[in-house]
Amino acid sequence: MKAIEMHNLTKYYGKHRAVSNLNFTVNEGEVYGFIGPNGAGKSTTIRTLVNFIFPTDGSAKIFGKDIISESTAIKQEVGYLPSEVHYYENMKVKELLNYSSGFYKNKVNKKRIKELSDRLELDLNKKFEDLSFGNRKKVGIVQALLHEPRLLIMDEPTGGLDPLMQHTFFDLLLEEKKKGVTIFFSSHILSEVQKMCDRVAIIKEGQLIANDTMENLTKNQFKNVTVLLQDQQTLNLSLDGIIRQEQLGQTLKLLYRGDVHTFVDEINRQTYRDLLIEEPSLDEIFMHFYENRENGGEKNDF
Amino acid sequence: MIFKQEFKWNLRSLLIWSFIIGGLTFLMMQIYPDFAKQQDSMKALMEAYPEGIKKAFSMDKISMGTVLGFYAIEGYMLITLIGSIYVVLLAGNMLAKEESEKTIEFLLSKPISRTSMIFQKIIVVVLNIILFNVIVSLITLSGFLMVDDGTFDLSTYMLISIAPILLHLTFAAIAFLLSSILKKGRQILSVTVGLVFITYFFQIIASVADSLESLKYLSPFAYVDAADIIIDGSLKGLYIIIMVAVMLISTLFTFMYYRKKDIAV
Repeated sequence: MKAIEMHNLTKYYGKHRAVSNLNFTVNEGEVYGFIGPNGAGKSTTIRTLVNFIFPTDGSAKIFGKDIISESTAIKQEVGYLPSEVHYYENMKVKELLNYSSGFYKNKVNKKRIKELSDRLELDLNKKFEDLSFGNRKKVGIVQALLHEPRLLIMDEPTGGLDPLMQHTFFDLLLEEKKKGVTIFFSSHILSEVQKMCDRVAIIKEGQLIANDTMENLTKNQFKNVTVLLQDQQTLNLSLDGIIRQEQLGQTLKLLYRGDVHTFVDEINRQTYRDLLIEEPSLDEIFMHFYENRENGGEKNDF
Repeated sequence: MIFKQEFKWNLRSLLIWSFIIGGLTFLMMQIYPDFAKQQDSMKALMEAYPEGIKKAFSMDKISMGTVLGFYAIEGYMLITLIGSIYVVLLAGNMLAKEESEKTIEFLLSKPISRTSMIFQKIIVVVLNIILFNVIVSLITLSGFLMVDDGTFDLSTYMLISIAPILLHLTFAAIAFLLSSILKKGRQILSVTVGLVFITYFFQIIASVADSLESLKYLSPFAYVDAADIIIDGSLKGLYIIIMVAVMLISTLFTFMYYRKKDIAV
């Protein structure tokens, strides 16, 4: 079964288009990254999925259930973590988590709350108003996990967490993944997406511009090439598949997409001191997508 | 879940408002024996009041020489006017507070439908209004019994106690509807409290100026006027129908609107 399916999901705020015609699916058990810069439509998509807002057009399903008509049933199995956590200021963390537990059909194991908050070093007896931004986020994380959901939907989950805590958090997610939990999260921190995700969707100005496995995005299609040149040498390769090249002193940096043999043949006709071919980071692919679109939308055919 | 939690959160303010309004009315009634004793001189004093003032406070219709007459003129506005302010603050905040403090995201992410969420909140409002009126009426009743000179009539008092409940439910339904529609929580307080005061003045204007008498139909306060209830010995059916209709229509619109509302905090 698919965890999430979207069919032409579109949301307008008045005349302003927030997202348009999103089509992608998240398989059960997958960790799925949803990336794009601020204002690209990530939060809008997520809020539509959890039915805070209604789609202008199109539809979506979670575990085969319609996000609007069966939203209540869906939420039994979904843990949601917003990008900014807002809870009742005068409640103690413990009270809030108990309140949250009370909404679910399945009895929440008290031990789980204790375990999760111990791992995240969260003080259950503090009032919510006394918590820092990062600690509020931790309450949000425990709240999203406590009822053992089958799907986690998280909007920029690591914001506010210190690097050590981010590490603990990703460990928690990996444990959930092992149990078969599907994880869908948005982010603009590409390294965390690269580390965690099986598949990635890239969104820009409300439209999906890439949707592929992490492997395909990084391994098969793109190569990051660094050529070390002789003194005073300049080199300008003209080869199909070179997406970007820039020379800084004696270093020529290229982003290449295509058959690696063709490239090696071509470079061997030139003189150079050293050559390094590596997989690009998600950052570079991401930058490529965004730069190209701004320069007129060339070479975007994924 | 929501019902239990909301009730707990609102309990303290319920008790504070009930005991303050009940207590003030109680104290007010303690003046009555002195007042009744000097009735003759008081009557002469009253005669000297301008016509407008007498009309505004229904002194032209009923006598202050009975326990309930005195209450109707001196104390009733505490539970109607001030009580209505408590009620619109309570009902207006139910949804608006969740949205302005963004805690609505928490509720919406839980497995509970919006209909059920609103229903539970409405039940909290209704229960609070009933408890508020019962507490205030009991305190007031004890005040009446202490100063009763034989003019107190329990069945009329029951009517005067039930009438504010209808008034409060009407205002609560309107405030609840407004709080579901208005985007930002801060406006809701000024709009609803303003509504209470404006309609209160409509009633006063309607009773003072004969040419503007029809204004009273715009004021729920006129529907529950204590002097009319004492004179008629009953609540007017038309007024009850109008109030119930306002409650039902407002509540229906609240459900319809909120079920489809985009909640972007």
